[in-house]
Parts: sequence; structure tokens; C-alpha cells
Amino acid sequence: MRGRQGLAQEVHRKLEGRRRRGHRPPTHPSPSTSPSASPSARRRRAAYLFCLPGLAFLALFLAYPLFYNVWTSVHDVRLSGLLGGAERFNGLANYRTVLDDPAFWHSVRLSLVFTLGSLACQFALGFALALLFARPFPLNGLLRSLLLVAWLLPPVVSGTLFRWLLDAESGAYNALLRAVGLDTLSRDWLTDPSTSLAGVVLANIWVGVPFNMLLLLVGLHTIDPELHEAAAIDGASPWQRFRRITLPLMRPVSVTVLLLGLIYTFKVFDLVFVMTGGGPVDATRVLSLYVYEVFFRFFRFGEGAAAGLLLLVVPLLTGVFYVRRLRHEDARGGAT
Amino acid sequence: MPYPLDRRGFLRTAGAGAAALGLGGALASCGSDEPSTTTLTWWDYFTLDNFQPGMTRLIKDIEAGVPDVRIERRTFPFAELERQITLGAISGDLPDIAIVDNVSMNTLGGSDLLADLTDRVEQWGQADQYYKGPWDGCQVDGRALGIPNQSNCLALYYNTRMLQDAGARPPTTWDELASAAERLTSGDRYGLALSAIRTEEGVFQFLPFLWQAGGDLDTFATDGATALSFLDDLIAKGSLSEQCVGWTQQDVNTRFLNQRAAMQINGPWQIPTLKEADFDWAVVALPRDKEAATCLGGENWVVMASSDHLDKAWEVLEYTQRPSVLTPYLVSFGNLPARKDLADRGTWASDPALRLFLSQLPLARPRQYGAHYADASQAIAEAEQAVLTGSASPSAAAKTAAGKIDKALGG
Repeated sequence: MRGRQGLAQEVHRKLEGRRRRGHRPPTHPSPSTSPSASPSARRRRAAYLFCLPGLAFLALFLAYPLFYNVWTSVHDVRLSGLLGGAERFNGLANYRTVLDDPAFWHSVRLSLVFTLGSLACQFALGFALALLFARPFPLNGLLRSLLLVAWLLPPVVSGTLFRWLLDAESGAYNALLRAVGLDTLSRDWLTDPSTSLAGVVLANIWVGVPFNMLLLLVGLHTIDPELHEAAAIDGASPWQRFRRITLPLMRPVSVTVLLLGLIYTFKVFDLVFVMTGGGPVDATRVLSLYVYEVFFRFFRFGEGAAAGLLLLVVPLLTGVFYVRRLRHEDARGGAT
Repeated sequence: MPYPLDRRGFLRTAGAGAAALGLGGALASCGSDEPSTTTLTWWDYFTLDNFQPGMTRLIKDIEAGVPDVRIERRTFPFAELERQITLGAISGDLPDIAIVDNVSMNTLGGSDLLADLTDRVEQWGQADQYYKGPWDGCQVDGRALGIPNQSNCLALYYNTRMLQDAGARPPTTWDELASAAERLTSGDRYGLALSAIRTEEGVFQFLPFLWQAGGDLDTFATDGATALSFLDDLIAKGSLSEQCVGWTQQDVNTRFLNQRAAMQINGPWQIPTLKEADFDWAVVALPRDKEAATCLGGENWVVMASSDHLDKAWEVLEYTQRPSVLTPYLVSFGNLPARKDLADRGTWASDPALRLFLSQLPLARPRQYGAHYADASQAIAEAEQAVLTGSASPSAAAKTAAGKIDKALGG
């Protein structure tokens, strides 16, 4: 590492020296000058070279696995014949099998319910907490840091935690309901197919609220307090100020938070895997667990790869939308 | 052009350094390996502390008893091993020897990953020393793909005092089981605990009921319904907790230990923990219906077809099966032998609980259904969960599962 840093510094120093000596490179190199002679071209080449490690990383850890996955998804790859390399190209047969599987569509529905349910509650709660923490009060910083713990815990830990909390017989949640006289609301949360998805969503909300809160809080701080003051002087009620000032100005941040949340939530695996393993029956077998089962329980790699790529569709589309929005924002930001 | 030179110099130095490191590594690995010694890699899933002394001793025994062999062992969590072997098959990183769960023979047996040991086993000629279930479990399509490591099966544990207090006798039939479980249920204590979790573990516990009803996977629509409605009745009467759809066998044992279940279905691997309980317990055979049956557990030794040292690996396997090596190893694990000729040695000859389990081994059936068993297994687990959570009737769930099973195993 020190070597590379030293090199960079040296390059910088040399370039500076050259500039001082009057070898200022032309801003638009003419194509007729030979690349080795032009210092600008050389600089550009150096710049490309510096990109190489990053590109190599992407190629090795992103492009190659993705390509391999696409390749697998159009071949008949099973455990038998894995060593002999007897994979047969079978076109879109894997995709057809997956798309014909009612269990796949059941998983898609579960994933959507899980994602939308989690996002709506995370966002609402996160927004409320952000509004709270935007005002100064004693212990504000400490409480905010404590809330972040939920976000920092590994999903395996929070999943286990909620499995205990929601345990039907010895869980704290049912005990609490009984203690306040709401016995009728106590349930076999995670072992009853009608409530297990709600249980998993509950845990995910807890995990996601701090993330939403933090980003929204940053957004709130960017709103000029003078706007609120002016509105207050004009006689606007707090609710009007929230509706007419805070909400519209928070729109860009909110969209960002929701898009990131969507990508992050849709591909959830560990939390659900730890809490219910997809059960009872198939009540919480979200899409990622479906893919996992096709791969590692049934060892049908071709179908698994196809399902995995289909799982990518929603986050990918969201990602494209997000990046386009970012560019749009940047362009607008640059114009003003 | 001063700076490209510098860069080249830097790269050259770095390259030389990397080469030197690589060379050093290669030299080091040459130094530690004498040319005549064969290093065999070995994977298993015995990660718990209490297994380590026995395993270390076994490996020492092997390295001393089999000429010129060194064992390099890697352990994985139970659920991880089969997955690691599959991943290893893709990446080309496979062991020479592995000790795999006997149910893995369905998946692995259908692949070309396991070495065919048929000729070696025949020449060895000790097949008839093994119990039928464990031995049959190693045969796939007429080929011997492994030899048994240890065997276990399920039986019924009961809390002696609770049974006495309730005036119940250890059940021997389904009817007796149902009535005993009902009488033993009181307060927050359930009469019976078993695992109906959505994994192979739950299926391992369910299959005996199917077999006891006189059926098998090909008659799931009828006999599966019988078995499922028997369990459904236990839940309806409150003798069995609906929570069992989330319990592993470990959870079941914890219930029993905490005296929140008067009886439990479990295996002999729980005996060491149960010996520390502050109450008396005993174990009997699983109650029977039309037939008496239990499910075979345990592992098999397999050799990977990709191994460069098939002969050496087989030599090691053969060595581990010598009574003088096998007995102390099994005793230290608290396991039961798959070999009949060891029946009157070791702790299992004297310990009443172990002896009961050993007496059930001849009845223990392997889950031997071929490469698509995993699909059938999942269908069974989901049927059981649907019935026990009240989201489907036994006959409807059995019919759905039967369709999936036929599709998986028939095609």
C-alpha cells in the first residue's frame, strides 16, 4: 500500500514540477501528436492504469459471477454430471420451469408483501423519529446512537432476538400482551402461517427504522429554518408547515431512502432464514429463500440460477431508476 | 521519462517480491511432505467439543496403523457439509474422504461424486457383519458407495415419575401413546414432544409414523393421511404443542429436560445430556400401529471419485472398521455400532438406554429413495406443517403431498 501511495505522490510531484517549468499540457490534445510524446495522453494513460485494479475487481467479483450465473441459467446443470462437465444447453427451459412453478409466484407475492409492508412502516416510523430528533432535547445524541444499534446488529443476531421475543410460550411479546390484559391478541407468531409473515416484517421494521431515521434526519437538517420561521410569522399552523414546507422539501430525500430501502429489503435472506426458515409450510418463503432451496436443497443449479436472475429484476430496475434520478438531481443541482 | 521508469521499477520490485513469496511457499510445502507420505483430506460435521478427543484419537490411530498416511481434517456444521461438497464439486476442491449423513446418499449417490467401492467391498467380504438398514443405505443402484460409520434411530423417552404419577404405562401402540399423552398433559406441560420442523430433521421424525401405518412414500395419499391425522388428533387434544413445527430435535430435548414434556421422540445422541438431568427417565421402542418401524440415522464413510488416492483412502476406511479401532471411537462419541459383531462390546452392551436403541437398529429403515428424495422430503415436511398448524386437513394435505412425491420420485 505504501508503495502505491508513494508512487501517486511522486507522479503528482513530477507533474507539478513540469507545470512549473512551463510544460503546461494542452487542454485538447490534437490527434496528430503521438501518444508517447504528449504528456496529456500519458497522463490519461496513467489515469486508466489507476482504474485497472478497480476494473479487475469488478470483473472478477461482479462480472464473472454474473456471467457465470447467466450461463448456468441456460444450461441443464444438476448435481449429477457436475464433475464430467456434461451440462447441456437448454435455452430458456429453466426459466419456463421456474415461471410455471406456483411456488415461485407464491414467493414473489410474499416478497412484495414483505417489502412493501416493511418499507411503509419503516418509512413512517423513521420519519416520525427524524422529526423528533431534529429538535434539540437532552440526551438526543445518546438516544439516537442507541437506536442505531438495531441497524448495526448482524441480521442473524436480530433474527434470533425476535425469534425469542415472539416465541409463543416463553416470548416477551406475548407476556407483555397478557400483562396488559390483551390476551386475545397473543398469537403463535412465528409458528402460525397466518401471522408468521407479520412477525418477520415486524423484525425487519425494527432493523430498518434507524436507517430511514438517519437519512431523513440529514434531509431535515438541509431545510432552511428561515422558511419555517417566515411561515410561522405568516400564521401557518405546525401541521400546515409540515404539509406545505417539510414534506415537499423532503421529497428527493424520501425517494432516495425508499429506493435504497426497496433494494435492500427485497433481497432479504438471513433475517427470514434465521427466524422461520421459510415456514411454517411456505408462509414466509420469500423469493431469496425460494432460490436458496432450489439451489441447496434440490441442487437444481440451472433453475436456481434462472430464479436468482429473476430475483434480480426488481432491485435492478429500482437501481437503474435510482441512478437516473441521482443524475437528474445532479444536473438540477448544477444548474442552480 | 523519469516516472514511467519509476513505475516499472516499482512493479518489478513488487513482482519479484510476490514471486519470492510464492517460491518460499512452494519450498515450504515441499519440505514438510516426505515423498512417500500420502496426505488425505477428510471432511466431517463433528464440530462439537465432546467429539474432538475421540476424533483426534481415531486419526492418530489411523496415522499409526496405516503406513505412510497423513490425515488433514476439516469440519463443517451439520447442515453445511452436503452444501460444501456440492460447492466443492463446482470449484474442484473436494476431500478424499468424507463422513456424510446417511440421507445424503440420495443426493450424492445420484451424482458422480462418490467413488464406486463395490469391488473393494466385495474383496473385503465383511458386508454381512453390518445391520441390514445401515448397509443397504450405502448401496445405490447396486453399487457400494460407502460403508456405515455409526448408526442411530429414534425411540420414545419418558419421564419415569410423571408416568407413575399419571398411572400410565410406557405406550407400545398408537392408541396407548395417544391416551398416555393425553393423561400426561397438564398445565404448561405437554404429554409428548417431537420435531416437525420444515427440514429433513422433521421428516426424519415423521417417516416412522408413515411406516408404522403400514405405508411408504408411494402410498402417501392414504397412509400419509392416517399418520397425519394421528398427529393432528394429538394437537387437537392438546397433548402435543403446535409449536413443534418450529422445534429442532435439540429443542425437543430441551422441553423434555425442562420437564415441560413428559415424553419425547428422540435419538441416542441426546443420552449424554440427559444423563445430567435431575429426574429419572427411560426409553422404549416407538409405539407401533400396523407395523413397528423407526427411521435410520447416522453417517456413512464415502470416498470422493475425484481423489487421487483411492487405494489409500479405502485402506483408511477398512482400518477404521477394525473392532479394536472402531469400538473406542464409537464409545467416545456415545454412538452405536452399525456392526453386529460389536453388539456385546462397548458401553452399548451394558447401558440400558443404548441397548434399547441397539435393539431397534434391525427395524430401522434407511431413507433410500433416490436422487429426487429432497423434493419428496420437502413435500412431506410441508404437508405435516400444514396439518399441524391447522391450515389443511390431513387427507387434503396428504393428497397434495402425494402428488408432489409421485412427480418427484416417479419421473
